Amino acid sequence: MPATTGPSLPRLLVVAALAAAVLALLPMGIGLYQTELLIYGLTFAIAALGFNLLLGYTGLLSFGHSAYFGMGAYTVAFIMRDLHIYSMELCILGGLVASFLLSALFGYVCVRHTRIFFSILALALSQVLWSLAFKFFWVTGGTDGIRVPRNQLTLLAGFLDFKGAGAYQKFVYTYYYYVLVLFLIAVAVMWVIVHSPFGKALQAIRDNETRAGFIGVPVRRYRWMAFVISGMFTGLAGILWAPLNGLTTPDILYWPFSGEIVFMTVLGGFRTFTGPIVGAIAFNYLKVYAVASSQYWQLVLGLVLVVMVMVLPTGIVGTIAHLLGKLRRR
Amino acid sequence: MKNPVDRRTFLNSIGAMAAAATAVPATYFAGPRPAHAAFKPKGNIPDKPFKTGHITFLTGPANLLGEPGRKGHLLAAEEINAEGGLLGKRKVETIIADEAAGTDANVKELRRMKLSEKIDLFTGVVSSGNTPALGPVAEELGVLTLFNDGCTDFLFDKAVPNPKYVFRVTNIQSADGVTSAVGAAKAWPEAKRVASIQPDYSYGRNVHEHFMLAYQKLVPGAQLVSESWPKLGTTDFTAHITKLISDKPDVLICGVWGGDYVAFYKQALRYGLFDKMKVATTLAFGGQPHAIGKDHPEGVLAGAHANYFFTFPAKGRWPINDSFVERYFKRWNEYPSFESDGAYSALYLLKAAVEKANFLAGGWPDDDAIIAMLEGMGMDTPAGYLYIRPDNHQGYKDTVIGMTKNDPKYDFPIWDPNSILTIPIRDITAPPSWPKPGSSHNESTAAANWLKTTWLA
Amino acid sequence: MNGEKMDTSIIQVLNSIFYAAVLFLIAAGLSLIYGVMRIVNLAHGTLYALGAYVSAWAVGSVFGATAGGNWVLAGQLLLLPIGAFAIAAVGAVIEPTLLRPLYRRPEEYVLLITFGLLMILEDVMKLLFGGTPLSAGSILDSMGSMRIGELLYPTYNLLVIGVGIASAIGLWAFVYRTRFGVILRATSQDRRMASALGLNVGRVYVQAFAIGCFMAGLGGAVVVPAQAAVLGMGVDALILAFVVIVIGGLGSLEGALVGALIVSFVRTAGIQFFPEIELAVLYLIAAAVLLIRPTGLFGRV
Repeated sequence: MPATTGPSLPRLLVVAALAAAVLALLPMGIGLYQTELLIYGLTFAIAALGFNLLLGYTGLLSFGHSAYFGMGAYTVAFIMRDLHIYSMELCILGGLVASFLLSALFGYVCVRHTRIFFSILALALSQVLWSLAFKFFWVTGGTDGIRVPRNQLTLLAGFLDFKGAGAYQKFVYTYYYYVLVLFLIAVAVMWVIVHSPFGKALQAIRDNETRAGFIGVPVRRYRWMAFVISGMFTGLAGILWAPLNGLTTPDILYWPFSGEIVFMTVLGGFRTFTGPIVGAIAFNYLKVYAVASSQYWQLVLGLVLVVMVMVLPTGIVGTIAHLLGKLRRR
Repeated sequence: MKNPVDRRTFLNSIGAMAAAATAVPATYFAGPRPAHAAFKPKGNIPDKPFKTGHITFLTGPANLLGEPGRKGHLLAAEEINAEGGLLGKRKVETIIADEAAGTDANVKELRRMKLSEKIDLFTGVVSSGNTPALGPVAEELGVLTLFNDGCTDFLFDKAVPNPKYVFRVTNIQSADGVTSAVGAAKAWPEAKRVASIQPDYSYGRNVHEHFMLAYQKLVPGAQLVSESWPKLGTTDFTAHITKLISDKPDVLICGVWGGDYVAFYKQALRYGLFDKMKVATTLAFGGQPHAIGKDHPEGVLAGAHANYFFTFPAKGRWPINDSFVERYFKRWNEYPSFESDGAYSALYLLKAAVEKANFLAGGWPDDDAIIAMLEGMGMDTPAGYLYIRPDNHQGYKDTVIGMTKNDPKYDFPIWDPNSILTIPIRDITAPPSWPKPGSSHNESTAAANWLKTTWLA
Repeated sequence: MNGEKMDTSIIQVLNSIFYAAVLFLIAAGLSLIYGVMRIVNLAHGTLYALGAYVSAWAVGSVFGATAGGNWVLAGQLLLLPIGAFAIAAVGAVIEPTLLRPLYRRPEEYVLLITFGLLMILEDVMKLLFGGTPLSAGSILDSMGSMRIGELLYPTYNLLVIGVGIASAIGLWAFVYRTRFGVILRATSQDRRMASALGLNVGRVYVQAFAIGCFMAGLGGAVVVPAQAAVLGMGVDALILAFVVIVIGGLGSLEGALVGALIVSFVRTAGIQFFPEIELAVLYLIAAAVLLIRPTGLFGRV
């Protein structure tokens, strides 16, 4: 089931431009709260997009992606608290370097294995990071976490800041577009990656590792590279999430959060390019409203996951595509 | 500011003041009293419900504290609604969410409560890890907030140094460690070897630091010989207990709380820990009173978060407490805890502020008017006189602690009436405008700096 | 070493073995299921917690919360393993209904199903048993403590250590000395071959899964008198069990035993000597083992 067959490039660009335009206009109609929720959705979408380079395109299920998300977020918090640098661009730079280093290190260990060993290894390594964040109270604040002071934050090299009255509204509406632009860039970059010869090679590895090796693909090195790119995308998501949440705690390093990233991707469908994006945004709404409406929100989420896996394994996007295909044939 | 007293005079004065405080409650300033229906509102009051958001632990080991908080809040809401609501018109409606969902989820839920449900007031919160996260969010959203616990000094020292919307009703946390230190120093003045077991997050860190600071001033030569930092939610304390025993302390300071404390004391009992050392706690009496069994040893210094335990002020001494305990028991078939008092008093504090503002200006007061009334407000509560300091929006009341004792009237241990100490809060906490951390000093809290520099010369 | 130091050491060793016994029960179940079925069950820790709840609930509702005489104690101890049997039954239902339909699909789906199951079971426990911790502490109380030198040690904990040792021996004998063990190992080596030889693989799978769940449930059942059943204990236990099998090697019973002992002793040493970083030490050791022997001490790829 190749992930690359689809509409032609011009048609795709039109669809993408249309989607971007809708996303850009949305905040005018949906109000402050929904806009904020959508920012969360977009940051998670970047995380899931990165995660899916491993799952959907390389065939590796990481149960430890919380590590890279957390690394991004904690790096932002450290930069602001200890270096007193409040420029978001510098934070992004620092966070990307940190998540690059971390995913290069962890990836190097993990890609020596595949299948379930890979998953468990990724999980175990992520928990090392969690325990460090949890235990080193004087550095990381332990479970209290570190505050990311939004009123000191500046965007676009100091051009925009958020002080004084109405700062919160200003932040939400400004930050939405900031994240949206980065999200669109991330989508474009990922699209180029998966359609490049490198991306094709990853899919060849996914479909048949031995054959890919025979035709000269350096399997382990490519897996490692995919791991690093994946980690950096998820790291970027964590970086953008930090000022939005205003606080980083070890919760985002704990392994159930890795499970949520997997959940998002499967919800949208990991065999398609857009699946993780749709899944992340949908999951964010699902979780917020499940938590708000019931004490038993985990039950709701668990049931959704089980039903998705049993009945709709291709996810939201896969199912819709399938239905559309049927209609067209008729 | 008074001149520093020496430690002997200070320790001797504590018992005497306790006697005075219990004997003449009538000298307290009489603030607005709960269950006084006589207030006549002025002007036009809308009758739309007054929406309140309440986040507290509904599940997990911390539920022992969350549950009574929720019950205290609901009791106050029901009583106010029985009189027609706030200013006789606005019924209190409460949305409740589970604090155990985690800090990030709590932050999101508070935003949802304000932006989507349009709550008028936010209350609750047990964990000290959560108020510093939620406080800045509440300020940012501009939602009037009365935390009834989560009493870490960090909230107003660092996270929200200049609060506008955020208030907190229960005592400041540094006073908790100091209160246990005073209680321990008075009971066991020769106990010099100190061991400490604390939950590994800001509450445990805070108790440890302030207890040690105060105790080393009260008991010269006292030294720390053992420390343990179990994670919150630990169920197996056996290795910690063995370590504590092996370090041969004279006294143990224990900040473990909720279901964790129940697990701790039951296991400690089987290892004979209580026979090997004196034990001082900050929160043994912090959960639902019936959570502690009669197997709990007597003579343990049982903290109630330096706030309240329902047997004090004793029956007949303080009518507000008598009637509160009676009504609470009638409604919930159990006895209240300090969280019950905190959540209950928080809502009555709001009621008093709304009525005062209405009395002055008529109509439904806006948030600014309510805040102006809350700042500097004093009120009689079941726990005694509560004062909201205007500079940092923190509630203060005299702290209280006692020793465990079994009483045939109850299925659980209570405070030995002869052992109860109350300590004037002004004697153990930094005064208003004391420099906050990061300004002229780098102590973890303003109180720590004050204790170090001026307390007990 | 003077007498009292000696006593402390003995007790810390007993504490570690107690902890290891419980961890072994959990990790061995997880490892057994993986060994036979190549499934990593993320809901395994939650099944352990469920076992604890069921046992505490059963003991509490039959005998009440207070300690009784010897006959009561005997009854309580006989009733205690009910959690293990309940969880085995749950496992026997889960495998054919939720897992079996997915064996033809990539193994990621099975992992996901178990993650969904984890979330469902966590809330089912909340729904059935409420938010407050549940304990069977009256058993611990009736059995009292025994004297080791100057110090005390709860008698019940020795029983748990005994159960752990008995389970380790029993499981080993079961896998290596019985006909069913041969079938299990044959299936785990080569499923198709086992099927071709006329073994009913479906039945082997459901039995293996139920046994694995039984172990988790037994872990919960024996731990609940000494501690309590609380929400969240399953998620914590799972991650510790992972550390155990990462150290010991996935799918290896010997590995589960050695891993459990290493984790427990390291944890105790951390508490005794490095209280500040008690937890981190554990994961750092796991990471070190991974770097040196990525398949764990007893693992094969």
